[in-house]
Amino acid sequence: MTVTSEDLMPLPPPLEKGKTEPPIRPLPENQRKTYESLLDGVSALSLPKPKSKDEEEKLVARFLRGLEKLLSQNDNWLFWQPLMQTLGGCVRCQTCSEACPIYVSSGRQEIYRPTYRTELLRRLINKYVRKRGRILSRLTGDDIELNWQTVARLAELAYRCSLCRRCSQVCPLGADNGLITRELRKLFSQEMGIAPKEIHDAGTVQHLKVGASTGMGPPAFQNMVEFMEDEIEDRTGSRMKVPVDREGADILLIHNSGEFMSWIENPVAFAIIFEKARLSWTLSSDIYGYEATNYGTWYDDVQFARIALKQIEVARKLKVKKIVMAECGHAHKGLVVIADRILVDDMNFPRESFLPLLEDLVLKNRLKLDPQKNNFPVTLHDPCNIVRLMGIIQPQRRILGKICPRFREMEPHGTENYCCGGGSGFAIMSSTNFPDWRAEVSGRMKLKQILEAFKDVMDPGIRKYVCAPCSNCKGQIRDLLGRFNVGEPYNIRYGGIVELVANAMVDLPKPFIEWEQ
Amino acid sequence: MGGLILFIFYGSILFFVIASVVRGLRYASAPLHVHWDLYSGSSVYELPDWWRKTESAFGKKLRAMVLDVLFLREFYRRNRRFWYPLYAFHAGLYLLALWHIWLFLSAVTTNIESASSLGWIWGTISTVLVILGAAGILTMRIADRDLRVYYPPIHYAKWIFVLLTLIGGMVAVDIHFNSSMPVLLKYVREQVTFVDFEHKLHPALAPALHVLFASVWLIYLPLGHVFQVFFRYYHFLRWDEVPNKRGSEVERRVKDLLERPVTWEGPHIPRGKRWKEVASETQTDPGTGAA
Repeated sequence: MTVTSEDLMPLPPPLEKGKTEPPIRPLPENQRKTYESLLDGVSALSLPKPKSKDEEEKLVARFLRGLEKLLSQNDNWLFWQPLMQTLGGCVRCQTCSEACPIYVSSGRQEIYRPTYRTELLRRLINKYVRKRGRILSRLTGDDIELNWQTVARLAELAYRCSLCRRCSQVCPLGADNGLITRELRKLFSQEMGIAPKEIHDAGTVQHLKVGASTGMGPPAFQNMVEFMEDEIEDRTGSRMKVPVDREGADILLIHNSGEFMSWIENPVAFAIIFEKARLSWTLSSDIYGYEATNYGTWYDDVQFARIALKQIEVARKLKVKKIVMAECGHAHKGLVVIADRILVDDMNFPRESFLPLLEDLVLKNRLKLDPQKNNFPVTLHDPCNIVRLMGIIQPQRRILGKICPRFREMEPHGTENYCCGGGSGFAIMSSTNFPDWRAEVSGRMKLKQILEAFKDVMDPGIRKYVCAPCSNCKGQIRDLLGRFNVGEPYNIRYGGIVELVANAMVDLPKPFIEWEQ
Repeated sequence: MGGLILFIFYGSILFFVIASVVRGLRYASAPLHVHWDLYSGSSVYELPDWWRKTESAFGKKLRAMVLDVLFLREFYRRNRRFWYPLYAFHAGLYLLALWHIWLFLSAVTTNIESASSLGWIWGTISTVLVILGAAGILTMRIADRDLRVYYPPIHYAKWIFVLLTLIGGMVAVDIHFNSSMPVLLKYVREQVTFVDFEHKLHPALAPALHVLFASVWLIYLPLGHVFQVFFRYYHFLRWDEVPNKRGSEVERRVKDLLERPVTWEGPHIPRGKRWKEVASETQTDPGTGAA
């Protein structure tokens, strides 16, 4: 199966004409020969083809062993209960299908249906783990062959869902097809050592080795802090010392280290706001102390637990009162919510989102703000991890309502939002032709939403801002606006929420947000 | 033959009770899973220092559960087309279940001879509602490709068995008992009071078949997905804001779980260690690739 231009969900103006060239470039001959791409001609994993029948059989046996562990209370205690609920609770009503942006955007390709991978997994379990006989397997629809092709397809299929869990939200019976995706990823990683290199080797492993998934070590972080101070001086007219390693501060603020590399204005805006509000806060230069990400959230319980514990350890050493997560969605969900059930005794450290704090500063007038400085259309992208998966919905709206007079919602929004298409690691996965698929299929619904939100102000003379308070989402929106050439030409820019707050501050001598036109 | 039916009938009730308790206990004693949640609206995480402000949401959850079960609210909101036959089926089932309870109670507490036909109307309307709902669902399952493709063949057999059970009930009530409530109640009284064993050992075909069908359902239900569906309301599964506080029951359970061995064999996972140890160490060897 290959997704063609005709299959794809149409986009609104100015992209209504669509493209004539194939939306997803075929893999070059050498990659097609080397990597598995049986599923849809796309390779997210760069999964090498086994060299012999013997190797294939060993891999299949290993998969089966992982499957058995997945279903064992002892081996998979972290997710056993919700997994059983999904495997046993689904009545195949397909209510979830239309909720999935990937399935709908692809022109409703069967392999992207939320229940498809669950159904495959369920059938494999019934036949090979619960060992139903041939006749019962036929009657229960479980007559499926387990071979390397099936395993390879499932491995790729685990990376065609962004874990946005919109399907789970609409399931009338509480089945969670998003969880099935994560459990599959876990099986492949924890039992077979199969995971995208960007997420494992260059992600969690690098994180544990040097301190950040971007590869930024403590000395590089110190350079970044100096760079931040230069930026602050440039934007405010006065030099400010960014607090680092301040023992006993109320707040340890942890950014996604990608912010320092790609969007320095975001940590700069945080620093200006926190200093103006006279908060007791600090950054940490300790290894693991300046990186909020935890890619383990998406694919591996062991790596997740390792990173979460290291982040907490930094806060304990600094004797701060609480950890505040900056604009990074999965880091919110990972450290604040999921880690809650692995932290005990003094490792059970207070941690929260930056949003309630920022709301407090903005709504209680602890900053001098002039909303007219943000007098341009602003729309809000809801990061799934912060909204649907954590229930933080209103603070960001109350903030934007106060500082952005031309704020407009995307439809749908809040807990019904659509994923940016870069969730669960997609935004950083750039090998082979996966970025094509990410932009054309998984990000398509978000692009449609952005264009529709601004449909009455598409005139390039009007500045427009997509507020995306999550590094991962920002990366994806950057790529979408660039690939479809609707960013600069139509004067649409993207950024976080703190940039808008900083831009509204009356104390700053010049606008914080720098427009390209 | 009669003795066998008797054995199956009372045995199925016993099996239903025991299997339900066992399955419920198995689920309740399952290890505490990590906090993997979904939110339908604002949560406690919107508040600064949220860990000081959480409170039990038991009342809220109970209300949601009752409304969901009674009205299939989530289906009504998310899949209206499916809800119509599904609700007819469930509303009929609820009424039918209540009718059976009423039958059992009336049979031993009221004057059977003066029983009015209102009971018959209640039972008939309920049965017709279930039949209509079941027929509607079955038709949708067959006609709609998306529903058909994912539906295992054995499930069609289940729907046919549902219809057989219901039609069997109607045949017993309306043909064998001649739609007479006093006659029906007399039969029920014999069943629930353990008298007149001679009658029980040589039952008439129509009521015996219906009882047999009902017994099969009693055996199937604790093993089927209906219970699983019900478990979604289990305390820690969804819409859960119970934090892991120091010294709490949650913390105690988490500590126990961290003592368990890690059995996964990926290249980045050391052998023979407990979760507590593995999570605390720093593994910097990538160890990727199919091991």
